[in-house]
Amino acid sequence: MQIIENSKVKEKLYIEKLENGLTIMIMPKKGIQKKYIMWATNYGSMDNKFVVPGEENATEVPEGIAHYLEHKMFEQPNGTNSLDTLTALGVNANAYTTTDHTAYLFECTDNFEPALDELMDYVQHPYFTDENVEKEKGIIGQEIMMYDDYPEWAVYMNAMKTMYEKNPIKIDIAGSIESIAKIDKDVLYKCYNTFYHPSNMVMGVAGDFEPEELLEEIKKRLIKKEKQEEINRILEDEPAEIVQNKIEKQMEVSMPLFVIGIKDFEGVETEITAKKHMTIEIILNMLIGKSSKLYKELYNKMLLMSEPYVEYEFSKNYAHVAITGQSKEPETILKELQNAINEMKQNGINEEQFERVKKMIYGAYVKEYNNVSDIVRMFVSDYFKNINSFDYLENFEEITTEYAKQILEETFREDRTIISIIKPNDTLSRSE
Amino acid sequence: MSYISKELKQGIKLHCIDTKKFKTNLFAFFITIPLSKNTVTKNALIPALLRQGTANLKTQEEINIKLEELYGATFDCGIDKIGDNLVLKFYMETLNDEYVPTKENLLEQATNLLFDLILNPFIENEGFKEEYLATEKENMKTLINSKIDNKDRYAFNRCIEEMYKDKPYGLYKYGTIEDLEKIGPKDLYEQYINVINNYKMDIFISGNIEPNSVFELISKNENINKLQDREGKYILNNEQTEVKEETEITTLEEKMDVTQGKLILGLDIFNNELGAKYITKIYNVILGESATSKLFQNVREKASLAYTTRSNYVYQKNNIFIRCGIEIPNYEKAVEIIKEQLEDMKNGNFTDEDLVNAKKYMISGLETLQDEQDSEITYYLGQELSGTLVTFQEYMDKINSVTKEQVQNIANQIKINTIYFLRN
Repeated sequence: MQIIENSKVKEKLYIEKLENGLTIMIMPKKGIQKKYIMWATNYGSMDNKFVVPGEENATEVPEGIAHYLEHKMFEQPNGTNSLDTLTALGVNANAYTTTDHTAYLFECTDNFEPALDELMDYVQHPYFTDENVEKEKGIIGQEIMMYDDYPEWAVYMNAMKTMYEKNPIKIDIAGSIESIAKIDKDVLYKCYNTFYHPSNMVMGVAGDFEPEELLEEIKKRLIKKEKQEEINRILEDEPAEIVQNKIEKQMEVSMPLFVIGIKDFEGVETEITAKKHMTIEIILNMLIGKSSKLYKELYNKMLLMSEPYVEYEFSKNYAHVAITGQSKEPETILKELQNAINEMKQNGINEEQFERVKKMIYGAYVKEYNNVSDIVRMFVSDYFKNINSFDYLENFEEITTEYAKQILEETFREDRTIISIIKPNDTLSRSE
Repeated sequence: MSYISKELKQGIKLHCIDTKKFKTNLFAFFITIPLSKNTVTKNALIPALLRQGTANLKTQEEINIKLEELYGATFDCGIDKIGDNLVLKFYMETLNDEYVPTKENLLEQATNLLFDLILNPFIENEGFKEEYLATEKENMKTLINSKIDNKDRYAFNRCIEEMYKDKPYGLYKYGTIEDLEKIGPKDLYEQYINVINNYKMDIFISGNIEPNSVFELISKNENINKLQDREGKYILNNEQTEVKEETEITTLEEKMDVTQGKLILGLDIFNNELGAKYITKIYNVILGESATSKLFQNVREKASLAYTTRSNYVYQKNNIFIRCGIEIPNYEKAVEIIKEQLEDMKNGNFTDEDLVNAKKYMISGLETLQDEQDSEITYYLGQELSGTLVTFQEYMDKINSVTKEQVQNIANQIKINTIYFLRN
């Protein structure tokens, strides 16, 4: 196995790419009782149009299918459910779907091997019937309705719709009641056979393991599969421009919620690096983080109660800044932020503040190594972005104010900025 | 890992958890105060004011700059209702010096900063700074009003409020807007002094530390030095202290603009034997905590009625709460299926396998807890406040010794107190 060592956090990552194309990453953690494993496929809610390797024509599938498939993977021919089997082993099992990947995981202290048997068995053996596929529509329907009641979700999805015109990031991960109604077992099998090939998957493990021994255990449990060519995913061309700069909706909330988004679609063309990601995080914290001048002013004016949540979200197919918070006057926040950006562009980047915020960001990345589940999640999701998570620690010193200035100019563009707002209902319709 | 606790002064305890598993050191400072209508709002506001400034760092900005300089040390505070007590919680997390590229002594700097924040606040004219108070009152008002934003939590809190009308546990942890309006800078400061001088304090440190040197470091801190001995009175809640009375089932419906109905059932446990807690924990896992639970299997998987359905056990109050998100017209059907599950438990309609699985689930949870700094601290705080010191091993032994008969017996001592439904 290839070993990558990081002297900053004193950890080692063991990597192996198997002949069938599966990548395995293992981080041994001596003395930790918890073991965490995740098996993920590069298949998410955005992969709705693609050419199956070996076929000529493109296949288009209903929105929400990757998530639907995730729910159905646990079903077994003998009527049992792998989630129950894993729970019965005393392990904590789960699965989730994002825009670009679907992950199956468990966390345990004992029974790692029998649980590994089950995980590797169910992920490699789908069992869909008309009946079990139909039944899930009720459960997922409830899940979609539950999200409908979350103002945080609505304000975020609206922000995506306002930034992106064609890109499927704007569709709900779970799809809609209407789209999932079209899902049947055949289309599930087709998606499974296309995307759950080892060459499209990665496995990440952390815990008290001997990496070489664990690798053998994993290999033993893999079924043989024919080599598969690259999957051609079809995405419509997305313009660099935003759709509109503002969207509003009313819901039953006590105070408006907002997401300020800055579309960085041009950033997608050149590969986004850990260095760029961290630099944007530093800039965002300098602009509106808890020690910033702007945050202090907004706090004193009671326009912000706590610092907004800032993030640079990206994959191979989208990239944007998202600033999420609650305020009586979201538009004032946007205006003031815009001023702060312009001021920073004009006056340059304050060296002292830059170095300090950089230290803070560094600390945050070191803390990720406290927990085996955080480690695996980080390495797996970064893997799908072509990033090795250690880069965040290694490239830290290379970030200069000059580079930050360049990123500030390129990414923080006023004409690419949007705001999504959830406003309180005019009258709160509450009755006893 | 080793755990040692030591009394610094009467009513003030230092707890050291020496562990090499983490890149960070975590400090936690808890002050435990009995809940009462008269003080809850003031007490809830105290952490918010302390966060604004210390005698040395007079603004939030200065504090935040200091935290960033300490490689992004994080300071966090909040309040929690634990049984009939309000616990003021303060946390400081820093990197362990081993993982810092420069020489800093973060441990000592963070200790000093934390104690400064809690014990040496910025004071003007014998009170908290008026401006700060005005802002924090406004923020707190917003927070209290935002109770409606998360509908699941809102429904859960409403159910508790109804079950504990006019009782300490029914109080909302942030208090009320009416009481908030009346708070002035001086009387809040008086209450702060009262809290600092009279109530129980527990200081935890978890990380790669040397307990003796930590003890020395903390004993010589001047903010700690000036604290006095105190009685440290708080309310002891456990399965023995909470005695339930027979009542009719209260059914309650409220309307709000929701797409999904939120159903909450509050259950009373009529058993006050020592150690019943462990049996009830197992009962609760089988009923509704794990993914193989009866509720999950029957409400979600078989009837497809809900996406979320679970139960949680509040041992301090001898209650179990069942929570589900359901389609509104399915209300009666859901209640019926839930009642069937409770009956099943009474009749012993669960297998030996269910029991074994529930034990495994509990034990695995206990083992994992030791890999998380804050969970481990919360465990020991729980022990401290219920007046026990059960080690992880003893806890696991107690879980392992629970029998099916005991679980069935508990099932027959559990009754529905309140059914609450939030709908449109």
